[in-house]
Amino acid sequence: MSKKLIRVLIAVVVIGGAFATLLATTMRENAQYFKEVNEVMPSAPAWYGKALQLHGFVVAGSIQRKPDTLDYRFMVKNGDSEVRADYTGVVPDTFKDGAEVVLKGRLTSTGYKVDENGVVAKCPSKYQATGTGGK
Amino acid sequence: MAVLGSFILLLTFVLASAAFSVSLVGARRQRLALVDGGVGLYHAVTALMLVASAVMIHAFVTGDYTIKYVQHYSNTAQPMFYKFASYWGGLDGSIMFWTTLLAIFGSIAIAINRERHRLLIPWVVVTLAIIEMFFLFLMVIHNNPFSTFLTSHPTDGQGLNPLLQNYYMAIHPPMLYLGFTGMAIPFAFGIGALASGQLDDGWLTAVRRWTMFAWVFLTVGLTLGALWAYEELGWGGYWMWDPVENAGLLPWFTATAFLHSVMVQERRGMLKIWNVSLVIVTFFLTIFGTFMTRSGVVQSVHAFGEDRELAMLFTGFMILTLVLSFGLVIYRMPLLRSRNELDSWASREAAFLVNNWVLLFAAFFTLFATMFPTLSEAVRGERVTVGAPFFNQWMIPVGFIMLFLTGVGPLLAWRKSTVTNLVEQFLWPALAAAAVIVTCLVVHIPIWASGLSFTLCAFVATSIGQEFVRGASVRHRATGTDRFTALVGLFSRSRRRYGGYIVHIGIVLVFLGFAGRGFERSETISLKPGETFSDMKPYAVTYNALTVTQDPAKQMVTADLTVTRSGKAFANMYPARWFFVGHEQEPTTEVALRRTPAEDFYVVLASYEAGDQSAHFQVHINPLVNWIWLGVGIMVMGSIVAFLPERAIAFATAKVPQGSVTTALLLFLVLTVPGLARAQTPSGVIPESAVERELMSEIMCTCGCRLTAQNCGMPNCEGKAAQRAKLAGLIAKGLTKDQILAAFVKDFGSEDILSRPPDRGFNRLAWAFPYAAGLLGIGVVAGMAVRWTRRKDHEPDPVITADSRHDLEDRLDDELRDLD
Repeated sequence: MSKKLIRVLIAVVVIGGAFATLLATTMRENAQYFKEVNEVMPSAPAWYGKALQLHGFVVAGSIQRKPDTLDYRFMVKNGDSEVRADYTGVVPDTFKDGAEVVLKGRLTSTGYKVDENGVVAKCPSKYQATGTGGK
Repeated sequence: MAVLGSFILLLTFVLASAAFSVSLVGARRQRLALVDGGVGLYHAVTALMLVASAVMIHAFVTGDYTIKYVQHYSNTAQPMFYKFASYWGGLDGSIMFWTTLLAIFGSIAIAINRERHRLLIPWVVVTLAIIEMFFLFLMVIHNNPFSTFLTSHPTDGQGLNPLLQNYYMAIHPPMLYLGFTGMAIPFAFGIGALASGQLDDGWLTAVRRWTMFAWVFLTVGLTLGALWAYEELGWGGYWMWDPVENAGLLPWFTATAFLHSVMVQERRGMLKIWNVSLVIVTFFLTIFGTFMTRSGVVQSVHAFGEDRELAMLFTGFMILTLVLSFGLVIYRMPLLRSRNELDSWASREAAFLVNNWVLLFAAFFTLFATMFPTLSEAVRGERVTVGAPFFNQWMIPVGFIMLFLTGVGPLLAWRKSTVTNLVEQFLWPALAAAAVIVTCLVVHIPIWASGLSFTLCAFVATSIGQEFVRGASVRHRATGTDRFTALVGLFSRSRRRYGGYIVHIGIVLVFLGFAGRGFERSETISLKPGETFSDMKPYAVTYNALTVTQDPAKQMVTADLTVTRSGKAFANMYPARWFFVGHEQEPTTEVALRRTPAEDFYVVLASYEAGDQSAHFQVHINPLVNWIWLGVGIMVMGSIVAFLPERAIAFATAKVPQGSVTTALLLFLVLTVPGLARAQTPSGVIPESAVERELMSEIMCTCGCRLTAQNCGMPNCEGKAAQRAKLAGLIAKGLTKDQILAAFVKDFGSEDILSRPPDRGFNRLAWAFPYAAGLLGIGVVAGMAVRWTRRKDHEPDPVITADSRHDLEDRLDDELRDLD
């Protein structure tokens, strides 16, 4: 019995360890920091190039689009800090002036570059999901 | 009415507490009168919850905007269907809906099993009553759906969120809730078995059937959610590992695990602790899922603070659940000892065990990754998120292991497989898999993900086919009938087993659909009217024009596209953006979708310039997606075969499989057809004044749609146009509103033409409905009371019932057949 127990324990440790290591390594590739605009901007150079999700609000009137393209340029603000964001692609229905947004992308010295499909906007009016996800 | 509703909820809470205490005392003292009393009280809870729901629906239908909840989620213009759906459109109502469903299921389960599991029943009532009490408490104290505006109230509602005004979205939550609440029944029986010490395998029969029932609804609910995302959200996919989606998936994994491991306990008397724990964990995850999505804890630890009270209540309830249930498991440990040990790893029980581990791993991985941002924020003070790629990186391999085990399990024998029968069983499936993988290599299909998926699909499909063929030929030899009859007989003899195989076929198709993601293509294109885009071979898209039309509920901007495939006409497509009245800031994306078995052609109108009419489109080609929906349909079909009661089988042995095929196909059609049929052709331009609009909603449409002329959604409805023309004429004559209505009544010959005759017809029915339901409830309670006071004598508990003997025979039979 005790021999069996030891064997089981060893198996658990080995398999568990393998999973934990795998989990940790894959997580490192995929994890992204989730930050507010005013947490990041005061020490902006430290964040250059890092995968980063940015939470803030679209500054009213700042959304610009190059005619006949899907290139967007807008300002995101939270607290006292603002950053310029560039994005190419389709924006969600709820993306507009004042919308609360979460952006996925990287911060560079020339502003925040949003990844493809990296704009998630929340509806300003209350929206309670009724059981499944909204984008 | 709102006061009545609040009062009913309060009364229900009192009755639930009574049911709890009476049953508890009855169970401990073994008093039949008390036990029956508890059951009666529980049924009364159900009756009252039905009445409360009737009051709520009444409020929605009649537009009682003094109730905050109604005002928030409905408005007058909303079609009747969505007025009903608004009941579960928000938090408070969905909790109430949940409570009602649980009460109904509880009553049904108690009524069915009352005679069969007499010692368990009081404990089942105790458990269910506690759960009911928790949710009722939540409603009474914290989220009363009947709370009203204290002073002045708005005259119209805000309306259901346009995104939720979708066929799938209206029926998706009920399906999911049916699944969620259904899982509470096995939990109650598990706790009943633990508390009463009746831990022989008897309780498993009741539990297994309910788990299967709930599992089917959970599966359908998840699929509907995916369909909704696919058709309504317009990003081209159906699953993005959103926390709310994951919440439904967690109990699905553990319930699936239970449905497999329960077989090991039935056959071999092993895994008893494991099974009880799975039942508990599944229930826990349904509550946890609700908590996770409702309290805001996933968004952020800080959001958690926003509704601290709700979060605290849920946390307390979850801790109580875990401590009590696992406390009972530990207390009953001696009774849960295994009858057997695992003989060999090359056995079916070992395959089931591995399948359980993988499923459980899937559940906990999903839970971990979903909660990771919250965890990291709580531990490190820094929020770190993981996205869909991370989930996919882990869940794709996990899915493959599960699919592989799906094929392996049936090929292994119980106890121990010998080398010869391994060779015999694995030969054909392995050859099929090898053939597919070689083909993939030859035609350069990428092996990782898609190629492997195809290979495993072939492996599993062949192994199931082999089971069917071998089973049928054994039976064909034994009974001397033709092979087809033998196959039908096979189903009726062990429907659980063959029903299960059908479910597996469904799984194979679903994976086939998943594999299609490896070949999806998408492009963002911008076109001016008259231009053609032809880079996405073999399709070519021509943009004809942009039109703006309006109906009472919304403004529609629609693009007119002509799509050709290899030069031949393929489809006219109309992707659109709809701006709902009152929600102009949140246009909804109306996807234009052309389904074929091989691939879906999916177009989204991303944006447009009002000036030169140029527009941007997102075009997706999604191969094999429809096989997912088809696969789920087949899974439902298989579950029905496995679920059908024995009596039905005995009654009509040969007919049943056909019948279930038809039912499932119908169900499947119900799920998919509205999506196919939902026309995106905008209805004609309708100029109208406020008076006209008001009157249109007072007059019924004459096309037979049973809706008001305002709400009639029939394409090219003649009734509506006629009524409108007539109405315009009468208004032009300068008649008052009442005179116009009188004129309509006179011309039509009865007041049926009016949508709400003053205190008549429908209105009176709607008014009477809650009262009728209330009377019915009281009648039921009175009947129960009379019945239980009359019955005095204690009946002895039968030791071995005919049922359990039948079960034993069945099992022996199966065991013997497995030997050959």
